[in-house]
This record gives sequence, structure tokens and C-alpha cells, in this order.
Amino acid sequence: MIPVKGGYAVDVPVINVSERARREQATFWSTFKAFGVTFSRLFTSLIKRDMPTISYPEQTRNYSERFRGTHILTVRNDGSLKCVACYMCATICPAECIYIEAGEHPNPEIEKFPKKFDIDMMRCIYCGFCVDACPEEAIVMSREHHQAAYNRNETLYGIEKLMARPGIDAKGPGYRPNRPFAEAKIFDPKKEPSCAIPSVTEERHPAVLYESMIQKRQ
Amino acid sequence: MPKITLNDQTYDAPPGKTIIQLADEIGIQIPRYCYHPDIGIEGSCRMCLVEVEKSPKLVPSCATPIADGMIVRTATPRVQQAVRYAMEFLLLHHPIDCPVCDQSGECWLQDYYMANAGHSSRYPGTEKTRRKKAKDLGPLVKLDQERCILCTRCVRFTRNVTHTDEIVVLNRGHASEIAIHGDKSFDNPYSGNVVDICPVGALTSSDFRFKVRSWFLKGTSAICGGCSTGCNLRVDHSARAMGGGIPGQSASDGKIYRTVGRRNVDVNQSWLCDEGRLSFHAMERWPRLQFPRTRGESRTVDALLPLIHQRFASIRDEHGDASIAGLASATNTNEALFLMKKYFAGRVDFRLGSEVETYQKRQDDLLRRMDKHPNTHGAIDVLLAAEPAGLGGLKGIRKMAEARQVRGMWISFHPQLIGDDAPEILVELQQLIGALDFSVVSTTHDFSWTAGATFVLPMAGWAEETGTYTNFAGRVQISNHAVQPPGEAQPLHKMMSVLLGLSSIQVSPDPAAIFDWIAREVSPYAGMDYDAIGPLGMPGVYSPQQEVVR
Repeated sequence: MIPVKGGYAVDVPVINVSERARREQATFWSTFKAFGVTFSRLFTSLIKRDMPTISYPEQTRNYSERFRGTHILTVRNDGSLKCVACYMCATICPAECIYIEAGEHPNPEIEKFPKKFDIDMMRCIYCGFCVDACPEEAIVMSREHHQAAYNRNETLYGIEKLMARPGIDAKGPGYRPNRPFAEAKIFDPKKEPSCAIPSVTEERHPAVLYESMIQKRQ
Repeated sequence: MPKITLNDQTYDAPPGKTIIQLADEIGIQIPRYCYHPDIGIEGSCRMCLVEVEKSPKLVPSCATPIADGMIVRTATPRVQQAVRYAMEFLLLHHPIDCPVCDQSGECWLQDYYMANAGHSSRYPGTEKTRRKKAKDLGPLVKLDQERCILCTRCVRFTRNVTHTDEIVVLNRGHASEIAIHGDKSFDNPYSGNVVDICPVGALTSSDFRFKVRSWFLKGTSAICGGCSTGCNLRVDHSARAMGGGIPGQSASDGKIYRTVGRRNVDVNQSWLCDEGRLSFHAMERWPRLQFPRTRGESRTVDALLPLIHQRFASIRDEHGDASIAGLASATNTNEALFLMKKYFAGRVDFRLGSEVETYQKRQDDLLRRMDKHPNTHGAIDVLLAAEPAGLGGLKGIRKMAEARQVRGMWISFHPQLIGDDAPEILVELQQLIGALDFSVVSTTHDFSWTAGATFVLPMAGWAEETGTYTNFAGRVQISNHAVQPPGEAQPLHKMMSVLLGLSSIQVSPDPAAIFDWIAREVSPYAGMDYDAIGPLGMPGVYSPQQEVVR
């Protein structure tokens, strides 16, 4: 705060402490009132077993269905990845934490698939814009939020980790605004042994293409 | 001269022009798909309809020549309604799959829909026509027939520009589609241009397809470094940090994704050859040299330059002015060549092979030329104008070095972007390095033949430095730097300006200032001003054998 002539640059509410103390009238009896609250809580938790705290890592609370946790990549009915690598999520992402490399899908109707889909969970701000932007409902969020890891590389989630990891089963999906419209399901490792990630049909490195063109012309 | 009234303004228009050409010159926007200034007029898309007074129907402005006393209006409600109807027809069977379409972001359907149409479809999406997708037309071009709007730009390109007639419209009416006869392959040397002129996502480049979305790209105007024609192009490179801080995956380090032809009627119209279009990949053909290579100790470029200057000065003091020389390459900019000439007091040559003999020879009748260096004409102007014999090229310099007349040299080598440098040149360069007492090689890539040199310095390559190239016809054009050079690499003109500064000639490393010095001293560039060259270049005042592109 920069003091300027005639007061502060910003309007600061002034609290008159002595005035407030007089209004609240802290007297001898208020001490007993406070002990009354303490002993009534002690009674409810000890005798009636109504405890507001839980033993956290063993016990967890239920989160909202719209909880925005770690992302999930959904799959089609045949178990292949739903993502078409359109970069809408990477474009909208305010934290710029999504990295995609697109490849040519063997099925020309699908056209594209992500050869690489990485989310840097340390950078992510869990705003859910990627879910809103996705035209295929290929990315949804889960109710999982544990990001503890031994090093930074573990927080860089690739396709496999985004698609299937133990936490998804335990918690279930979270923020998923357009569930009724799209057919996208969460990968079930019990039913499908592995996800059918298509391999790149023909690997054409640009330099290879360029070389072959030069040789052809000469 | 006919007088024409366009949107209540009267203009003098040269006869023979059509309305859309005049509107383009004035700057009045008329939507169009099939019209392109360089491929001939078709009049099939009906987007450029305008209202002409006393004409009962709307007329297509691309195909209507200007007549005296014509009164044209381009923005009346009747015209807007017609454009809206045309857009509705074009989008009727269009699969609106913009998220996966590679043209998205630079698609004319998207632009004109937002600007002129804005309707919602009256056609059930499930019953849209399905056609062939991702069909390979040739090595560089893929066709998606669903997205095609049949503007026939590609057909007219192969018919009128390359005269190869590969792409045709097959069938009639609703069944008509862009295709290639039989199992022919669309592999003429200019095939990539149809991707540039396709207004929608029907024709995409196999090289660029799916690599990056167009809105992540930044365009920088540059000059093709592939041959002496000096085609104008736009380098599209990464501009925004994709993937943010993910180590090793960020694209913010500056990667070139594609090059697109830039229209310049005097040089290349709108076209590029395929080798030139893909020539930016040549920079990644070999590992780049990032840090200077010295014998033993590792030092930065800035720390090495004073040392190099000391060595050159001591050689000159001991053996005379003629004992040091420079060998440049015709891919270096005029600025770099000029400063090198200043530092070595005129004892600089650039001829490695047969650049001078071939730089005006055509390879075909459209754009390509035999000499694969972009600045041979400029090198002749800057280095050989006063003294045509020079040092006798690479062969002459090697003989001088073997006769111990030349003892210290700066060799600047930039590989050809198209094709390979002749192996005998590299052998000869290696022999030259072996014959010298002291040699500095500044080069872009880590070549094995530089192993014998005293110092090997990393140099910025094509599209990594700003400077001027002079094309085969003496046209001076500016090539801007698009991406950062790797590691410690520096443009040659910057290193030369440091060396000149050490020999007490203060030079600004700014290419504009250097070019203004060139304009004062080199007679073909007399009176030229860097700021006046502009994006389309400036024709040379003096040119020995002027040859005009048709």
C-alpha cells in the first residue's frame, strides 16, 4: 500500500478495534459460554460418536460429480483411443501444459490420432477448459487429485497413464459436461488387455521425403 | 481510358481488366474461391457476384471486363443475399469437421462463412455425401474429395501454369469430383503449389499435414535459398511455446514447419518449385554445428574472434597483405560478403564450382535455375565487379595456398539447400585447409571435412539471418530471419563486423546499415536504400544480361 497525501491510494476499510470490543461485551459469563461449546462437542463426539474429522488417507470423502481432477482419455467402443489430435485442448489451455503429436490414422474416416499426448500435471491448473473444448469428448476429468511423485518426470502423464491408471477405477470420472451426447467410455483394463493404439501407417520423415524427391528428379 | 464507378467512387481503369482485378488494386474486398490472378478465369463459384447498373442479373466480377461508364456496387443487399445463397450451396455437403481438418484456421470457407453467410444448415447432417478421403495424388499432395468445393483452381494450375494436365474434374453434376486419370501420379516439379492455392482443406501437403495447427504458426517473409531465381516465400515457423515448459518438447525454440509462395509478379508470380518448398529440411539433413570447435580448448565465439584477429594480423605483418584471404559462399548475404571483402582488403572469392557460368541458365521454363545458390549475382557485384578474375575461385586459392602465397584464410561454407555439393569441392576444401598455416571455417553444419581447420565456428544458415540476396536478374531482395540459429551460431556479417571493429573500422552489425554502406560503394547498388527495398525487392540498376521471367 502506498500512502499518498490525504490517505491511501485505495479505499481501505478502517476497523475501530475498541469500538468492536465494546460492542461484543466480553465479560466473565462469556468464558463459561465458550466452555459450554467445548464440552457439548466433546459429548457428541465421545458418547454419540458423531465426529466431523475423518482418518484421511484411509478414509476419503465423496467428491462432487463435477470435480476437476486429473484427466482421463476416453476410448471408443472397440477400445481404441477416442482422441483425434485436433489440438483444441492444447490451443485453449491457459497453462500450455498439453503437448500433442498427430499421426495419420489408418482409417481415413478418423484421419488423425495422437502419436503422443502428454499433459504436464505440474503445470496444469485444472481449469477444465480442455474438456469444454474437446469436440469428441475424448478428454474428461476424474475425481482423483493425488500428484505426489518422486521426480518431475513422473508428473508428465503420457497416453497410457491418462487412459488407464488405478486411480480412475477407485474414484470414477469427474467433470464431464456433455456426457449425454457422445459415445466415449473409460478404458476398462479388465475387459481389454491393451488399448489398440494405431501404429503410424507409413513413417515419412520430411527429410526422407525430401531426399527421395531430389534423387527422383536428378 | 474507361471510367468506372465502383461503390460510388469513379476510377480510371485500364481496358482489359476485370472488375475484381480493379477492386483488388483499390482494396475493395470481393469474396472469391475460383478466381486467382495467376491461373486464368473460370467463374464457377458464384461468390464474386456484383450489381452492375442496367444489368438485369448480377454479374460475376471475376469474368466481367470493365466497360466505360459502368456503375458497379459490391455491397448491396441483393449481392449479400446472392453470396449467402452461394455459401449455402457450397456448404451443403461439406463435412463441417473443422477440428480435424488441416486447413482450419486458414480456410476460406471459414472466413467467408463468418464474414458473409452465418446461416444454419437446412440439411440433415447424417445424409451428407461421403467421398474418398486422404487419397494420395502424388508424393506431396493428398486429396480429400469430401471437403472439395470444385473451384477447379488446381485443375487450371496444371492446365495453364505447368501445362501437365494431371488433375481433372471427373463425372458431371452432383457426381463431379477432382481426380487424376487412371494410375497417373501427380508428381510434376511444381505440385506443391496446388496446396497453396486450394482455398479449402481438399488438397493438403503430405509434408506439412498434421504437423502443427496453422494458428500456432508465425509467417516471416523471406527469399528461397534454393537457387538463383530468388523466389519470394513466407516461412511459417513456430511462434508460441507449445507444450510450455516440458523439457525437450517445447517448440518455442523456433522450428520451421513449411514455406509458402509469396506473390511477386516480377519473380515467381505465386509459385514455388517442390525442391525449393521443401528445401528448409536441408538445414536438418546433417547435425548442426552449435558450438565452436577448436583444437583442444573450448571457447565461445565472442572469445575466439579477438584471437582470430590477432593471428590474421600477425600473419599479415610477417608475410605481407597477400598472405591472408577469404573464401565465401554464394549463399552468404550481400552484407556478409561485403564486410568480408572489407576485412580481407578485397582478397575474397566465392566460386567453389561453376556458379558464375550457370547462374542465369534455366533448368526448366518456369522457375528453376541450374545454379543452386541464391546470391551468385550479388557475390559477383560485391566481390568481382572491380576485379573480374578475383582469386581464381577455389582452385586458384588452393594453388596459391600450396605455393605458400596464402597462409591464413577464413572459409565460410553454407551447403546447398537443394541437392548435394559436388564431392570434389569438399575434397578440394579439405586439401585447402591442409595447405594453410591458419584456417577458420565458419559453417552451418558439423561436416567431417572441417576437421583439419584451426577453428570451426558455427554460422547462422538460411532463414536464420537477415540480409539481402541479389537474384539472377540483379533484383535485390530482403530475406528476414525467421528462427534463431542453434547454440552459439551467429550470422557471418555479425562476426565480420566484430573483426572489422578489432581492426579499428567501426561497423554496425545491423544489415540495414551495412547495406547502406554497400549502396555507397558498390556501383550496381548505387542509390538504393534498404528501407525502400520493401517486401518485393528492388530491380537492379545495372544488370549484365537481363533476363525476364515470363
